[in-house]
Amino acid sequence: MTAIATDWAFRASEVTKVYPGGARANDALTLHVEPGEVYGLLGPNGAGKSTLVKQIIGLLKPTSGSLAIGPHDLVAQPDVARQLCSYLPQAQMPIDSFKAAEAIELTGRIRGGDPATVRARTDTLIEALDIGEWRDEMGVKLSGGVKRLVGFAMATVWPGRLVILDEPTNDVDPLRRRLLWEQVRRLSAEGCAVMLVTHNVLEAEKSVDRLAVIMDGTIVAEGTPSALKAQDRGQLRLQVMLSPGVTTPEAPDWVRHPVRVGNNLVTTIDESAAAAGIDWAVGLMGAGVAEEYALGATTLEDVYIRLTGHASANGTGGEA
Amino acid sequence: MTTTATPPSAVGHLVPALRAGAAYWFSGFRAMLAWHLASLRLWLVVLAAVQVLSGVGFVLGIGLFFDEIPLASALFVSTGVPVVNLVMVGMVLGPQLVADQKVTHSFDFIHALPVPRTASALAWYVVCLVASLPAVAISLGVAVWRYEGLPLAITPDVVPALLLTGFAGTMLGYAIAHAITNPMVTRLVTQFLVFALFAFTPILFAASQMPPWLATVNSWLPFRHMADLVRASLTDLPHPDLAVSYAVVGAWAVVCAALAVRALGRRR
Repeated sequence: MTAIATDWAFRASEVTKVYPGGARANDALTLHVEPGEVYGLLGPNGAGKSTLVKQIIGLLKPTSGSLAIGPHDLVAQPDVARQLCSYLPQAQMPIDSFKAAEAIELTGRIRGGDPATVRARTDTLIEALDIGEWRDEMGVKLSGGVKRLVGFAMATVWPGRLVILDEPTNDVDPLRRRLLWEQVRRLSAEGCAVMLVTHNVLEAEKSVDRLAVIMDGTIVAEGTPSALKAQDRGQLRLQVMLSPGVTTPEAPDWVRHPVRVGNNLVTTIDESAAAAGIDWAVGLMGAGVAEEYALGATTLEDVYIRLTGHASANGTGGEA
Repeated sequence: MTTTATPPSAVGHLVPALRAGAAYWFSGFRAMLAWHLASLRLWLVVLAAVQVLSGVGFVLGIGLFFDEIPLASALFVSTGVPVVNLVMVGMVLGPQLVADQKVTHSFDFIHALPVPRTASALAWYVVCLVASLPAVAISLGVAVWRYEGLPLAITPDVVPALLLTGFAGTMLGYAIAHAITNPMVTRLVTQFLVFALFAFTPILFAASQMPPWLATVNSWLPFRHMADLVRASLTDLPHPDLAVSYAVVGAWAVVCAALAVRALGRRR
């Protein structure tokens, strides 16, 4: 409670990062994450998400701009940044030689937790994530998904004020994904600011309070999932599953933002064009170009495609 | 199963002040020591065994070069092998482990842990000692057994000599690991070092057997001085320049440690 009452928000102001070679990875990024908030950072590969994260945790230095958590300047004090931020990287944790519970507990102690509390919290997380059967298993024997969950527990066993999770659910089975998101919610409920870095838009839509879409180092949209989707009100998602090997068919003018991922052609159309859209898709099927189609409400994925020109990870899985 | 229990608060600790000072340093050192030991658990015994085998291999193998090895040469080899054992883990294996972490992208996680850089470096040094000291002792034991009449005379100086040699070797490796950003370059440099260590540094043979220019180069490098320190602490032989050797090895240790810690703290 106290943590929420104090101003411990994370703030990035005008953060610009130009690498020595001249590549501009972040361009005047400004965002904030409040304690108790789950904030999504979405964008395709190379958009600048990882660069921002590495600047927050003190691995990179901004060319200009400021990063702060509450009163602490993270750029001037990278050692303080490491205490205030917990980080789950996208890569797997280096825990081949560790037992699962040991890796979690040891990380908690490194992060400053007292042994008894860390042990209790480790037990809680292992139970909550339903990974008890592997608690004494060496990391080298764990599947990718279980290793990911252990990594999540390592990052959150003694969380900082800002918890940065980079693709936390990679390789995790659907049931335990849900358990993981419950723990994320619990962290935020207790006052952590959570930054979720992902290009899995569908998952982010269900999990975040607010999000930013980053493209070429700048924020191209920011808001709640509902607010972002509101811009697409009156639109429908038309997804056409093309026959394998066919070239992408020419889309009529009223079909917007067509993006092909594999054999899926994802587009949006006006609600008033629903009948024409169906006719078009049926025509493609009749010509052997497509095998089936789906018409439904637009999702955050469609907003994302419109903004970035990319489909997200798992983004064309037909959940529309 | 997952939400009905009342688990300990995840963030009750968020209120206390940031950690700093000696207590922070020592808790970081202890925790990182446990981390390093656990991370090498699958390999530490094998690593120590390989160290023993290579140490014993040198002690016995070089004797095979001679019909009857002169006692002076036997003494040189026997008192040089501990140096090889001491520097090999920290100077060669350490950088290669870091290179692996960079390739697999796990380096960022370790690097982002809130531990003072010096505490982490010193914890790694202790691990290197743990992996190499058994080999030092066993190699010397085998040397005594193999070369009858070997005039070993272990003095109390063996403690600072071994500790400083191990520290300098580990810090040199630490600097290579962290000051060189490209993991492939790190690997190449360490491979070269192994080769240079055996062929062109007077550890297992006397500097007088080298071309003068190479001996001069070696007088500025730490390896010959490491061997002199260790040899002096294991024998009664006179070593008039011992203070110089301590100074050179100490300077290398300090400079490499500073370079490594600076490289660790450097943000591109």
